[in-house]
Amino acid sequence: MTLLDDRPTRTAPAPTRPGLGGRLRDLGLGIRFAVSGGREGWIRALLTAVGVGLGVALLLGAASVPTFQQERDARGDARQLGVGTDDRLKPGDRTMLAVDASSEYRDVTIGGYLLRPEGAHPPLPPGVDKLPGPGEMVVSPALDQLLHSAEGKLLKERYDYRTVGTIHDSGLDNPFDLYLYVGSDSIKDGTDTSRIDHFGMNYPKEPMDPVLIVLIVLACIVLLVPVAIFIATAVRFGGERRDKRLAALRLVGADVPMTRRMAAGETLFGTLVGLVLGVVFFLAGRQLLGVVEIWRLSAFPSDFVPVPALAVLILVAVPLASVAVTVFALRSVVIEPLGVVRSGRVRGRRLWWRLPVPVVGVALLLASGPGDTLGTRGVVQISAGIAFTLIGLVLVLPWVVEATVRRLRGGPVPWQLAVRRLQLSTDGGSRAVAGITIAVAGGIALQMFTVGINDDFNKKTGQDPSRAQLGASAGFASGELAERMVTEFGATKGVRSVIGTVDSWASRTGAKPDADGILASVSVSVGSCSTLRELAKVDSCRDGDVFRVEGAENAGVDDELKIAPPGAKLDVGDPAVRWTVPADTRTVHSRRDPGGHYFGGLLVTPGALDVRELGNASTSAQVQVDQSVPDVLEYVRNTGFAINPGMHMYVYQTTQRDSEYASIRSGLFTAAALTMTLIAASMLVSQIEQLRDRRRLLSILVAYGTRRSTLAWSVLWQTAIPVVLGMAVAVTGGLGLGWLMLRMVDKPVTDWFLFLPLAGVGGATIAAVTLLSLPPLYRMMRPEGLRTE
Amino acid sequence: MSSTPTPAGSLLTATGLHKAYGPTPALDGASFSVHPGEVVAVMGPSGSGKSTLLHCLAGIVTPDSGTITYDGRDLAGMSDAERSALRRGEFGFVFQFGQLVPELTCVENVALPLRLNGVKRKEAERRATAWLQKLEVDGLADKRPGEMSGGQGQRVAVARSLVTNPRVLFADEPTGALDSLNGERVMELLTEAARGANAAVVLVTHEARVAAYSDREVVVRDGRSRDMEYTR
Repeated sequence: MTLLDDRPTRTAPAPTRPGLGGRLRDLGLGIRFAVSGGREGWIRALLTAVGVGLGVALLLGAASVPTFQQERDARGDARQLGVGTDDRLKPGDRTMLAVDASSEYRDVTIGGYLLRPEGAHPPLPPGVDKLPGPGEMVVSPALDQLLHSAEGKLLKERYDYRTVGTIHDSGLDNPFDLYLYVGSDSIKDGTDTSRIDHFGMNYPKEPMDPVLIVLIVLACIVLLVPVAIFIATAVRFGGERRDKRLAALRLVGADVPMTRRMAAGETLFGTLVGLVLGVVFFLAGRQLLGVVEIWRLSAFPSDFVPVPALAVLILVAVPLASVAVTVFALRSVVIEPLGVVRSGRVRGRRLWWRLPVPVVGVALLLASGPGDTLGTRGVVQISAGIAFTLIGLVLVLPWVVEATVRRLRGGPVPWQLAVRRLQLSTDGGSRAVAGITIAVAGGIALQMFTVGINDDFNKKTGQDPSRAQLGASAGFASGELAERMVTEFGATKGVRSVIGTVDSWASRTGAKPDADGILASVSVSVGSCSTLRELAKVDSCRDGDVFRVEGAENAGVDDELKIAPPGAKLDVGDPAVRWTVPADTRTVHSRRDPGGHYFGGLLVTPGALDVRELGNASTSAQVQVDQSVPDVLEYVRNTGFAINPGMHMYVYQTTQRDSEYASIRSGLFTAAALTMTLIAASMLVSQIEQLRDRRRLLSILVAYGTRRSTLAWSVLWQTAIPVVLGMAVAVTGGLGLGWLMLRMVDKPVTDWFLFLPLAGVGGATIAAVTLLSLPPLYRMMRPEGLRTE
Repeated sequence: MSSTPTPAGSLLTATGLHKAYGPTPALDGASFSVHPGEVVAVMGPSGSGKSTLLHCLAGIVTPDSGTITYDGRDLAGMSDAERSALRRGEFGFVFQFGQLVPELTCVENVALPLRLNGVKRKEAERRATAWLQKLEVDGLADKRPGEMSGGQGQRVAVARSLVTNPRVLFADEPTGALDSLNGERVMELLTEAARGANAAVVLVTHEARVAAYSDREVVVRDGRSRDMEYTR
């Protein structure tokens, strides 16, 4: 008889299905392991949290774009001039004259108005407490800073007014908006002037171009799917180490579902911390956008508020998805009680359920009609098509990697080590590369599409910057003032020549308006012989000559010349000046001017018509400058602003890009750069984690005398093989998707090799990841890895 | 207290080795020698410095002071690349666990040191297969380490350590993770194969029954070594 014989007889408890309480207890236990798991546990939780946090911050950022757009547009509308609907406001107590005082300075645009109140109660622009008096101005903080910096010295000469106030945020587009309102007592009602009685216009919003909608849909998928993949990767950080811990729990009686729930609990903890970090990153990021301009992007932090429904979706879906990913990942892992973690029997990946996804995507895109017939349904169909195609590529990739790697044989030791490792498990490789694949495939499609539709958004201007670099036009109260503009441009520092004309209109003396009230008239432009030669094919010219110019771009202009045959008596300008077309007037052909236009009408030298006698007149000048003179364009702009703040000035360029298209494109590339960085970070963490798990093996291989370069090459191959395959899938898929999308908008593919730069970027990302993982690799190859005590 | 073994005719000799990891001394004036074909067991309790001594002798770790001479050459005077080349060509290693590359098959694992030395794959695998036969695990040639028992894995590791015909075989607790039956079989095969190849064996163990396979025992305690006064 022993003490053991005295113990009560017990039967082994029968396994029971745990209730909700039991499941929650397991989850809680997992969370406790994460919290009390020591340094290792915290590192794992932190890696997951930082990864999830970055992803969540990006998602919250994306969810804030609609609000951001809405707020910015609302402020933009609020500062529009309120000219009324009939455009015929009479001067009154609440009216004010306004002249656009916008101008370009180097590579920035300054916006604003000159304002002259006509009564005692003029309207206040948004963000302004008090209207500036004559010679005073209120400016945005960014403009104030620029004007007071050395960089803004020339601009200060242009806006040489006394600053009496600041425009608050409510009157600005963004924190770096350069804007001003100048008080004036000299502006008069005229062609360049608007009379207003309030600020703010509620423009009816035009529906967005369907092509742009497709572009935005593609961009969202390309940018957000990698973020989702990144989050899915982040929640698996440190998974192998965790599985070993769970094996110990199996030893003390935890069953497989329990271990899965505990793993889910651990992940949940990291994800919840990640959510908090994500919110913190997001808040910090939007504060940053308020104080730093990144690639011309900035925003008021208060504009960056996620759409509530999307924010809730993110905060709920991310933890749920992370738990789902963890449980799903554990399906292929057998955790046994004796601390043994073995990969479950490797079952070949199946193509049958993967392939239909991109096929459905392609079918949806093929079935879509041309872009200009897109309705809501069409946009939804295309969005679904793009999403299915891109996600399908990510699904097909692991199969391609596995099928290819299975066939690889032989090769030197580093190659063999890498190939065998990949043959054992292609999960890690495919997972890391999936993000890059979708980003590159989408990027290629995006690039092809944007270049393909380029003609629609990048217009050829017909301007010739080799003949003149800057154009200016303005209305003047007299011909004398108009002539002064040409003279002063000519005297400006760095100006080589000015093609300048004083422009007016002429009608037959005594002619009456027709039944529609239209008086037949002809354009009259006065300029020097050298100027006239730039506007028409004039072989010989002397002061006093007059030319009838045919061949203008508008055929109707040639008809107008009928009222001005040689000897015809004309009334020029308003008030009219009597003038007779000289008998020796010659007819010449028009010539494209540097601004891209063909003049039509009468070209007159000053000796034939004294412009100083003209009443209201306008001027157009095309200025050729010496581009070796620093800031020469600013000198010309300063001259123009000094003559007439309302003068329109424009730099000649061969193509003009649609601003909406340009901003979408630059936004896309900014976001793509961020996504690539995120993916690279995820790959680096995975790589280092894998190396950490193999620390002892690496040390043993070094003990055997294995060269470091051998292992470094092995790491490179291990990264490069899936990446090259991923790139192949991405390039094929991207080109296919790009072709399909261009087909929808009925455009041909203009360049099949557009994928090279993006493929290069993807390749460079991999090279960077490999290079950055070499220092940890070398550290882990130290003999210390052999020590067990 | 350390006693210096007689270096005459020894293949590998160490004298007055000191090594510390941070403030913790691992070796404190240890000395050691081994002759060609001799099996020397290094014994001692956990943390006594046995493994550090082995790592220093194999040129894996550089001692803080003291000299190590292999075949008349000073290990301390060699560059890392030269020591690596020595380990690849003249030394063999067996560790307690985790030494086989999990993604390579057994024959590829055994052929690995030869391939690192530049031997062509087919020739390396032919020689590896021969060693697997000697170690009675040729049936596992195409299996991966995860698909075999611990004892089988250690035999593969022994085959790998001997495939380059090393002059010195370093074995650090080679049976530490095995049951006694398997452990004894591994030791029999290891010592037989080493003696057959006239390789010296430095055998680190804390088990007397494993040390019994040696010709001589050296005891390490508190970082100092002492030859035991017996021969088999």
